[in-house]
Amino acid sequence: MKIEVKCSCGEGDCPEWAIVELQGVVEVQPEYQNRLQNLEIGRLCRPSDQEIYNFTVGYHELTGSKVALKKPLLVLKKVKHSESDKSANPKSPGVELDVIGVIRHKVLFKTRPKALISKAQPAVREKASASASAASNQ
Amino acid sequence: MEWQDALCRGAEAVLNILPNSSISVAYHPDFGPHNELLLLELDEKLLPDVLCQRATLRGQPDEDAVFCTSTKTYAVKFVGTSNSVFLIPPSSLSVLDEDPQYDTDKYKDRHAVASVIKIAPGNMELIEVAPMLDRLKLLLSENPLGLSDLSEIMLSADRERGGSVGLYTWDDLVEQIQASDTELKLGLEALSAVEINGYWRLVDEKCMDSVLNMLLNNAVLCEWSFNALSENEVVSMLESDGFPSQIVIHCLHVYGSKVNESLENESVWKLDERCVCAHFAKEILRGGKMKMETFLEEWMRKVPSRMRASLDMLEGKILTEKLGIETWVRAFSASSLPYNPRERFSILFRERSKWEWKDLQPYIRDLRVPGLSSEGLLLKYTRRTQPTLDADPIFSAR
Repeated sequence: MKIEVKCSCGEGDCPEWAIVELQGVVEVQPEYQNRLQNLEIGRLCRPSDQEIYNFTVGYHELTGSKVALKKPLLVLKKVKHSESDKSANPKSPGVELDVIGVIRHKVLFKTRPKALISKAQPAVREKASASASAASNQ
Repeated sequence: MEWQDALCRGAEAVLNILPNSSISVAYHPDFGPHNELLLLELDEKLLPDVLCQRATLRGQPDEDAVFCTSTKTYAVKFVGTSNSVFLIPPSSLSVLDEDPQYDTDKYKDRHAVASVIKIAPGNMELIEVAPMLDRLKLLLSENPLGLSDLSEIMLSADRERGGSVGLYTWDDLVEQIQASDTELKLGLEALSAVEINGYWRLVDEKCMDSVLNMLLNNAVLCEWSFNALSENEVVSMLESDGFPSQIVIHCLHVYGSKVNESLENESVWKLDERCVCAHFAKEILRGGKMKMETFLEEWMRKVPSRMRASLDMLEGKILTEKLGIETWVRAFSASSLPYNPRERFSILFRERSKWEWKDLQPYIRDLRVPGLSSEGLLLKYTRRTQPTLDADPIFSAR
């Protein structure tokens, strides 16, 4: 079986995607479990002209940096052919991979989150998984 | 802190945050598992291959897929991560069939937003591997071309496709063999396969022997020079003897090389003394091992009188052993060995428990394992002993 890896964007013209990577998982508060669409995860902030970033998720703040990937990542999309295509060429596996993007940089948060607590608030237990902000971005 | 321009969204927003500003990172309107989206890590130098559509994934449903560029083969490995990898497409992403709602004025006059389409569980990595050419030999051995097939080839230059058991076209082989196009071509060449009426075939030894003998006989009769055989002349002469042109040209290719394309579109071939002589040695030893003197005598008699046979031509083709005061010789061909290094060494050490380097080298020089030098190969699969400092090293099984 042969699956073609295709690219319609052409060399040097592949749209760049981005990655924001952090340790652990972001847990969504139960009432938003089923309506994640458009929900804000957090705010990504670049406080100076260095490539240092803060990511504020709920009551947690992460500090990280933008790093260039040692090797690029390609974003591939599995495309299934329609039945009519298949009957035209019965030997075709009916699937091809389209290159739809390339990733060369990511904003990486390697450290555990720091709790943002004001004096008045009770201490929030720090854990690797930060809670997503409940505030939707409407 | 000031918010960035409203138009800046998606991956661009993340990659181009200005100092002293911030953006919102949110779930995309189409956020989901998106199993159809895969991440493939690959070397910068492979990018042109992929972006110019020269890459394919190959493999049978029961095999692990390999990734092939036009020249190389790579194993595909999935590497998982426990981190949360938020994948953010560019804002102009049309392939995901965005919710049209997303493009409404909802975000106008608001701050920049990067939308996460999926959380990637990991990515695929590529590891260069040797092409799986042992399977090629296996497939082509199912239905080798024999003498009895020759008349059929001459009758029907364009046989119906399909219905022929154990016959493979180039496209069939690409479907079945995990190797890049270049490696597959080299593999076919190494097996001395020939494309006849659209199918890649091995020609059995008896058949090759007949063609070669007919060619040599005609060379004597027609006083052809071994160094300047006219393709047209050879082909038309042998065709009248019942050999199809494809087989005749294949014979010239296996036992010789093309000298030049001369002016009138006529190819001229030169026979390779080493290949021809080795062929006769193989024919003589087909029956089993022989005493060296008997073998040499017969060999000298069999090779064409204009050629000179010498034992060094049989490197990687015969093994000699001393039994008492007598030396015996038998056929043992490097080209019959598998490409898989573990299997290859296992067969070699079953054949002989100890090898001197000069004997071993011809049987392993065509082994290529990416990431492993030939020293590395020996280290991995053999034990090396050297009785004294100036003695030749001996290799035995690990």
